[in-house]
Amino acid sequence: MTSLATKPDASAEIKRASIPLTQLTRGCRGRISEANLDADDRAVLRAMGLKPSASIEVCRAGQPCIVALSGICGGGCRIGLSKDLASRVMVDPDD
Amino acid sequence: MSETIAASPPRTIAVLGNPNVGKTTLFNRLCGARHKTANFPGTTQEALVGRFDGATLIDLPGIYSLDLNLSESSICRAVLAGQLAPEGGSPRVPDTLVVVVDATNLLRNLTLVAEALRLRLPTVVVVNIIDAARRRGIHADTQRLSEVLGCPVLAVSARSGENTDRLPDLIARAKVPDRSPPEGRDAVEAWAEETYAFVAAAREGATPDTLTDRLDRAFTHPVMGVITFVAVMTGLFWVIFALAAYPMDWIDRLFAGLGGLVESTLPAGAIRDLLSEGVVAGIGGTVIFLPQICLLFLLISLLEGTGYLARAAFVIDRLMRPFGLSGHSFVPLLSSHACALPGIMACRAVPDKRDRLATILVAPFMSCTARIPVYVLLTTLLFPGRPAMQALAFTGCYVIGAAAGLLSALVARRSILRGKSRPMALELPSYRVPDFVQALRMTADRGWVFLRKAGTVIVGISIVLWWLNAYPHASSLPEAESLRAQAAQVEPSDPSASEALRSEADTLDARHAASSSFLGRIGDAVQPVFGPMGADRQLTVGILASFAAREVFVATMAVQVAGTDDTEDAGVQQALASATRDDGTPLFTPATSWALLVYYILAMQCLPTLVVTAREAGGWRWAALQMAWMSGMAYCCAVAVYQIIRAMGHA
Repeated sequence: MTSLATKPDASAEIKRASIPLTQLTRGCRGRISEANLDADDRAVLRAMGLKPSASIEVCRAGQPCIVALSGICGGGCRIGLSKDLASRVMVDPDD
Repeated sequence: MSETIAASPPRTIAVLGNPNVGKTTLFNRLCGARHKTANFPGTTQEALVGRFDGATLIDLPGIYSLDLNLSESSICRAVLAGQLAPEGGSPRVPDTLVVVVDATNLLRNLTLVAEALRLRLPTVVVVNIIDAARRRGIHADTQRLSEVLGCPVLAVSARSGENTDRLPDLIARAKVPDRSPPEGRDAVEAWAEETYAFVAAAREGATPDTLTDRLDRAFTHPVMGVITFVAVMTGLFWVIFALAAYPMDWIDRLFAGLGGLVESTLPAGAIRDLLSEGVVAGIGGTVIFLPQICLLFLLISLLEGTGYLARAAFVIDRLMRPFGLSGHSFVPLLSSHACALPGIMACRAVPDKRDRLATILVAPFMSCTARIPVYVLLTTLLFPGRPAMQALAFTGCYVIGAAAGLLSALVARRSILRGKSRPMALELPSYRVPDFVQALRMTADRGWVFLRKAGTVIVGISIVLWWLNAYPHASSLPEAESLRAQAAQVEPSDPSASEALRSEADTLDARHAASSSFLGRIGDAVQPVFGPMGADRQLTVGILASFAAREVFVATMAVQVAGTDDTEDAGVQQALASATRDDGTPLFTPATSWALLVYYILAMQCLPTLVVTAREAGGWRWAALQMAWMSGMAYCCAVAVYQIIRAMGHA
């Protein structure tokens, strides 16, 4: 996974520790930092759009965890994740 | 599909895209009804294959990336490399590649476009769902996109038909892209972001979709979600269980009438019997499954169209995981309680290959409607005059069947289907009004596949079983003849006594015919096999005859002990309860009845299911495994039950 340090806007802020996606509540936004999964599963999530630095918004917390992925120009999609899977996806919450 | 005999093989057009981008709707726009579903050889993955403009159009499975280690991705790779073709076609590198993308989710879709462009095939890109994108304030500039990609691009709405009339022209203009996106996941994602920023614009920021949010939360809610799920599934089950009974009854009567018509018009003889009892009954026994198959697929198709099923998969996933199955396995297993055939055909919706195979293998463990007559007979024999105990035993049958199925799935996933499950991440499509025409098309398609592929085999084997049961024709017994002579004598003075004598003679003849037929002789020969579970010669014949279909057991037993297959008749039920073996001991002892009940819950006694398993799982070895596993388990359990009850002194 790419590290956050390469992202230009991240270097300006004080970097906070990534937390599991399951710790975000409904309505929270954040950016994916990494997924603690094996290479195959990580590739599946990445192909579905849950790639490093992708912005997400939590539409439903818990089981399942539903996140909305949005593009820079609107649009996007919703992805449901089992709680177990969501607990392995690390995110950097937005303020 | 063979309108023209071309000198050179027909051109091939492959349609590639993410799941849920309306690929199939677009495919239907191009091919209309001229399509069929075909499996990829040796796989459970299917593709739609159709005709468009003299070319073969292949609708590939929906994928997120060509590079994933998933069965559908590797199939797409193989087809695009010219190494694999759906059954009935020869592998060939596609002449044209149509990439379908979702305008409302262009950014992610572009990463698959990048992978597709790198294949250097003549390509066009179709930006679908522009109507929804417009409503959400998203604009995609196809002119710019075409420049960046180096191939023709067209924005359409396959659903509403907007711009679809320009598709043939677009496909004709396909060309090898003169731009090449970078390689490697990081570079591809960066390229997609850049391209997206260049071609897409939104009137304003993304508007929050509160209705979808609310529905999502309700449908996946720990309480509300479960209630909705139970209600929807009850409705589904009711339709295939209760509502399908009406058309099934009509079909039953129609074929009974046809059989009667054949009998009354043709002269008596072997050909008449073959037609009326073999062919007509065999076809009737196949067509009878159509209402359940069609209704199930119509409903699944409509439910899937609404977007609900993706949510429902999460509700049930937690319950299915411990057994090595996924939430997608639930609908097939539930449907199997009506009939395993539509259930197994519904396994196509299970995304993971191993989950799908495990679900196909264990689906017939669910107690289907064909088992009900057997359960009714045996529970009545076990608990005569005690309806509460009968009901309890009846429910127990369903529980044992389902438990055996789930445990078998677990065993399969730990042994022959070992491997990790794919991560439970699903795209949740937008809620929509389902497309009824597409649902009907899919229903017709499934029904047709069943009749064509499974029906022919089932009818063939039914005829063989009928022949084994009906031949060689036994001549009338001397005792029966003397009874008939007596009947003729007393006829003038006592018509009712004469009638009784005649039916007694018929019973004798029927019992004699049943035991002297090929099947009866086979029953004699294999009785020692079923002996340890308490079966005598007659029960063995019943078990063998019901290999084609479980419900045949009751009719076969009735024929053997009472000489008639009218199992509704109270006298026949009485005759079954008091039937004796050749040595004069009761036929149905409690030990035997319990053993038979266990046997029928677990055993693979359904020929059509084996045929459909072989087709859906992609090989007869799966059907053989299913048969060996289920019947082996049934046999062992039945023998154990019989021996234990006997050892306890209840012989």
